[in-house]
Amino acid sequence: MVDTLIAGLLRGNVYALGAVGISLVFGVMNVVNFAQFSFFGLGAMLAWFLVAQEGLPFWLALPIVLAVCAGLGLVVNVAVVRPLAKFLPLAAMLSTYAVSQILDNASQLTFTAQFRVFPQVLPTANLHVGHMRFGTSDVVMLGVTAAVMVAMSLFLKHGKTGQAIRATAQDQEAALQMGIPVGRVQHVSFVIASALGGLAGVFIALYVGVANPSSGLNTGMTAFVAATLGGLGSLVGAVVGGFVLGLLEAFGIHLFGDTARQIVIFVVLIVVLIARPGGLLGKVPLISTEPLTGTFLGKGRPLRVPRWVWVAAFVVAGVLVPVLGSAYVLTTGTQVLVYAIIAAGFTVTAGQAGVLALGQAGPIAIGAYVSALLTLHLHFSFWAALPVSGLVAAIVAAVLASPIWGVKGHYISIATLGVGITVVAVIQLAVPQGIYGIPVPQWFGTPLTTPLAYYLIDLGVLAVTLLVMWRIRSSHLGRVISSVGSDEVAALASGVRARDYKALAFAVSAFFAGVGGSLLAHQYTYIDTTMFTMLMSLLVVTIVIMGGVGLPYGAVVGSIVLIGAMELLRFTPELRIIVYGLVLILVVRFRPGGILVRAA
Amino acid sequence: MTSTTRRTLLAVTATLSATAVLGACSLNDADASPTGGSSKSGTVYFGVSAAITGQYAQYGEQFKEAFDLAAEQVNAAGGIDGRQVALKYEDSQSDPKQSVAVAQKFVGDKSVVLVFGDYSSAASIPASPIYTAGKLLQYGFNNSNPAFTEKGSEYQWSTSITTSASYEWTADYVKKQGVDSVGVTYLNTADWGIPAYAAFKAEAAKIGLEITHAEGVLDTSDDYRPSLTKAVAGKPDAFVHIGYGPDAAKLVTQLRSIGYEGTFYGGQDEESFDGTPAAEGSIIGSEFLETNPDPKVQAFVKAFKEKYPNEKNVTGFEAGAYDAFNVAVAAAKLGGTTREGLLKGFQQVKDVPSVVYGSITFDQATRRVASPQLTPAILQGGAWVARD
Repeated sequence: MVDTLIAGLLRGNVYALGAVGISLVFGVMNVVNFAQFSFFGLGAMLAWFLVAQEGLPFWLALPIVLAVCAGLGLVVNVAVVRPLAKFLPLAAMLSTYAVSQILDNASQLTFTAQFRVFPQVLPTANLHVGHMRFGTSDVVMLGVTAAVMVAMSLFLKHGKTGQAIRATAQDQEAALQMGIPVGRVQHVSFVIASALGGLAGVFIALYVGVANPSSGLNTGMTAFVAATLGGLGSLVGAVVGGFVLGLLEAFGIHLFGDTARQIVIFVVLIVVLIARPGGLLGKVPLISTEPLTGTFLGKGRPLRVPRWVWVAAFVVAGVLVPVLGSAYVLTTGTQVLVYAIIAAGFTVTAGQAGVLALGQAGPIAIGAYVSALLTLHLHFSFWAALPVSGLVAAIVAAVLASPIWGVKGHYISIATLGVGITVVAVIQLAVPQGIYGIPVPQWFGTPLTTPLAYYLIDLGVLAVTLLVMWRIRSSHLGRVISSVGSDEVAALASGVRARDYKALAFAVSAFFAGVGGSLLAHQYTYIDTTMFTMLMSLLVVTIVIMGGVGLPYGAVVGSIVLIGAMELLRFTPELRIIVYGLVLILVVRFRPGGILVRAA
Repeated sequence: MTSTTRRTLLAVTATLSATAVLGACSLNDADASPTGGSSKSGTVYFGVSAAITGQYAQYGEQFKEAFDLAAEQVNAAGGIDGRQVALKYEDSQSDPKQSVAVAQKFVGDKSVVLVFGDYSSAASIPASPIYTAGKLLQYGFNNSNPAFTEKGSEYQWSTSITTSASYEWTADYVKKQGVDSVGVTYLNTADWGIPAYAAFKAEAAKIGLEITHAEGVLDTSDDYRPSLTKAVAGKPDAFVHIGYGPDAAKLVTQLRSIGYEGTFYGGQDEESFDGTPAAEGSIIGSEFLETNPDPKVQAFVKAFKEKYPNEKNVTGFEAGAYDAFNVAVAAAKLGGTTREGLLKGFQQVKDVPSVVYGSITFDQATRRVASPQLTPAILQGGAWVARD
């Protein structure tokens, strides 16, 4: 018992330090900063490089690491994040994702991908309580966390820049009107947060013992949840959230096993958010403009697509590609089509209902597993399993997500991310071994296994999806959902039950996600849960944002660009991901509303 | 009906029927089976589907280094019947979404006569049907999941020892050391850790080795302390970890930090584990040992370190890839440098010199190495040495 308690405190220490930086940026810029995770990894690798390879003493290496991270943070903010955050926070979030990809891969190119033993710059096991050993490093980490928190709190309360930061966090436009240099303030916060990220990365690596360029992601994710738990924007909340999460996680693992770790983390989060929608110490967003969502629609007009474009697209996709395309083009095409189906369905939730749900990998996984099990064990035909798995995905997702629709603002995105991750983790517990030998689609006895066959099936399903999307949008139901997305308060005032319509939109999106999952399962003939990651969810979101959050056919364009680009860029294998990130940033910079949306 | 509507309707009907006709023609085609293979002269190409970027990139790097060394040596000795051998790399990030596309690309590239890869079974297995349909041999030399070959076709081959064989051996060896009870942690992955643990458990039950507690863990976790305190609660004689190097490195450090002193049967010949101070004294069953005095092995290690002076260790990953290349070359020399030739070669090849197994002959029923041997090894001073 005591051992678990100590373990929980040690873990909480790590999360608290990570959470502080995250909370700072989020509170000030209203931007989910994925690049923060990269700074964890970067801080660790830089420290390793300076101490283990170059032989510098730790007290010299640490300030260098902080300076480099701070400098990089400034560059990132000036070049990428702030210009886009002005347009709309959605685009800024997307760009931080692109930046994190670039940073991680640049780090990998520089330091190589090897896991490294992190040098013991501080003793890590020289103290003990009972059986549990810990070290001076943990004590120092605690001291650093406390010092940072106190220093930041004093800075924010009494320092002039600190007060400016708080003012900007509270109301950006009012701050501008008061003459506060909002731009400079945001730079400062980003710089501080990046340095803190680097610092946290160093201590995380010291605690864990090994480091590699991508080591930031998992601890970073949990630190992010901790920051949310404590209330985004509240520094004390970040620290409290960190320790609370660390303790609960340790006890959860002790009781249920490490495999339940992600479930524990996100269930804790969801329970807290339902009970206290602003996090433990955060403010409840009363009239939330949901900066990550809805209001976006007003900022641009969709390009008008003339009728002949539809016909031309149909001819190209339906005739030219199948006839002229090689097997490789067709296989890539199937991936493009499946993701287009999932993303097009997602536009109902993201574009119309205005909820940027981040956990689509969950319903996709449900659809894939249900379809696989139905065809394998219950001998359903593929054609029957396809809609049934979509239906099951819709129902399960709706049920699981039903408690969270009262949550507002950024928190709902994080809560849906949690639902997605939890769903996949539960599937892993239920079906740990993966499923082999999933039957391929059959047409009156002949198996359809060629790339062309899959391509045509996927194309057919996409056509149906787009048709359904079009019908929904022009129907009364669609208009009601759109009203919730564009102005929730007005909708509520008109008697629309916003919560229920958001849930309905989510269920519709989950249906198409399930259908997409089923298509993937029957194409791969093997599935396991490592395929349905947060990166898959992020890909869906990125596609939708790229194409224009409210436009189903935009999702198709987004899919072509993003997945097609991944394949086209194969000629530069080392730089592929970096170029991909740059392309993403450029598109978002010059078409921040999406490729098919004109800037207002 | 207005003329615009009529035109649209006509266009739609026309394209629909055209598609239907074309579709019906090619729906059931087997892919134009590429008999593949280069012309009589000219380079022989092997494809490599591996993680060049992404979270598994370190293994992709290690494979590449070994392949490049092997290719250099083979070409210096005259290549295959006078023809040079070269490799075409494609980055799959060991992601099934991409390994499937890579497989399609290789199948369509007539000059590629064999493909090495992928790093993980989760990436290799979905690509198998494509390689089979394209009649292109898929050499999953690193895929220890038995399902890769068991559920694959005649085109799936592997020279990796299966996880079931490895962990049956481990259970037997641990019991032979006089250990009666073990605490276990295993990676909770569908394609590797879970089947490996199942094999271990089955063997342990057969020979009377008690498992006091078994905890599934995630390789993405950084802190295993809560799981470890549970796993050693029953005071087992020794500890077994079924996983990879980086997670074992974190785990063994934390195992010691909670005060457990028993022998650690786990880890991997991998840089971060080898360099972890707490890992000293760990024991595993090893296929490849850098310190093996066998002249073949020492020649390989020497050549590798000369070519890559920055690499401190030569591990089983590099050795496996090196062997795989030589097996493929031997098969090509026997059966011919076409796709069918390589399949025939694999079905006939015997006694290929190997730095991992001594010599490789395939068990034609399983398409894996016949009777693979493991050597017990202990980590001393950052290097693995053989132990009785």
